[in-house]
Amino acid sequence: MTMNQTTPTTLLRDVLYEFSLAKAMPDAELLDEYVRRYPEHATILTDFAIEMVLDSSKDEIEGTAKPSELTVTPTVSRVMSRFQNQLFAVRSSGLPVAGRAPNLAAPVANPFAMLDRKAFRDLASGLRANNVFIAKLRDREIDPETMTDGFRHRVAEELKVPLDLVAAHFGARSEVRAGQYYKAEGKPTAAVKQSFQEAVLTSGLTEQQQQYLMGL
Amino acid sequence: MAKPLTKKDRNGMLYARPMAIEAAIDVANQQNIDCLRRRAWLSDIDDSDFLPMECLVHLIRDALRRGDEPTVNALMPAFLARSERMLTAKIPDGGRVNAAEIRENILSDFSLLFIQDGRDDHSNVLDFFECRFARAFKFFRIDYLRREGARSARLQQLPAEDDGRASLDENPLTEPREGWQVAATQEQVIFQGELLEAINNLPCDERRAVVLCGVLGLKEESEDPTVTTAATLCGVTGRTIRNRLARAAKRLSQYKEIK
Repeated sequence: MTMNQTTPTTLLRDVLYEFSLAKAMPDAELLDEYVRRYPEHATILTDFAIEMVLDSSKDEIEGTAKPSELTVTPTVSRVMSRFQNQLFAVRSSGLPVAGRAPNLAAPVANPFAMLDRKAFRDLASGLRANNVFIAKLRDREIDPETMTDGFRHRVAEELKVPLDLVAAHFGARSEVRAGQYYKAEGKPTAAVKQSFQEAVLTSGLTEQQQQYLMGL
Repeated sequence: MAKPLTKKDRNGMLYARPMAIEAAIDVANQQNIDCLRRRAWLSDIDDSDFLPMECLVHLIRDALRRGDEPTVNALMPAFLARSERMLTAKIPDGGRVNAAEIRENILSDFSLLFIQDGRDDHSNVLDFFECRFARAFKFFRIDYLRREGARSARLQQLPAEDDGRASLDENPLTEPREGWQVAATQEQVIFQGELLEAINNLPCDERRAVVLCGVLGLKEESEDPTVTTAATLCGVTGRTIRNRLARAAKRLSQYKEIK
């Protein structure tokens, strides 16, 4: 399960970027060229061409509007804050960032740690799972070797964090969350990891949910 | 001289920044952080100190690669503010129920590209933004909306065939799209905008036929199976395309009358 392969999704994304950059607005000639070159993507290229045309009534070219003062809006402020948090999380995950040496001593960041109750539930719903299953992901109770690439991609998408970060989290040692309440006299220790299939089957998921997760 | 881009096009050629962007980067590389911060906030394209978005993308990427966080923190807010303004032009408040949320999500996802830059699948995707920011950003926005399913109804699967009995006579929508690429006058720009809006409101199958034939200029069908036509792209017969065009023409003429 190597992470450095060029996936079909990547290829498609690059094809669509190229298509979008080729002309200000697509025409028959451009669409024909791309459909011939990438017949497997003919439908999505056609959809994109149509979207781009219908979108072109007022293109977002900077400076065409009357210049006015730019400010840090609350939106920019929130996005900037998230950007800094994610940058910090990636850098402290110990994974190489843009040519830097990995920080092996740093603990692996837990991308689930920043989720509040609502975000946790939303994630469960986005992954068509339940809170029990998401808690297993959060606490690294599932053996990453038994997860599919598709599943990891979906988790990264839902969490809106880089795939590397998700992979590093799953690959790290199981942990019991700080601040988690427990009834036993001693603090519970992390158990042996379940296989992905086991985790799916023992989390109280419906048959439909199980099928979806196993099919990723 | 800025580091060359590494993304290759479909012919295997490396992408290259436009000369003007290369020149702007060379100038920016000689300037200190305060000067760059001030320039990043300029929004008037006619200002001689205006910093193109392509240049800002480069400066932020480069700072991230070097671990130069002060520069990232100095430039990123202005970069996001300018990106947000571009988004607001396309997704204005009131245009959609959750316009502000959509803009914020797009901006958030976009900022993630900088964090993912140079890593696995996302390696050098920002090269596209250093070449033509506006087009790449437009793709990013459309792709986001598509993925989020905001337009899923519009792009839903079409019925395979259509044997409607609409008139197949003279059809103005089969005429090539003169004036679509270059709108000469302000009036034409307004008319195009209104017409696009009307086309946008057509049922999905008719909209596809109109854009493919009437705007992009594809043939309805061809006897030559190797030719790309509206029929081949939609997976239907030429007759079906003509039926859809005829129905669309009727709707659009009603729209024109109402206007």
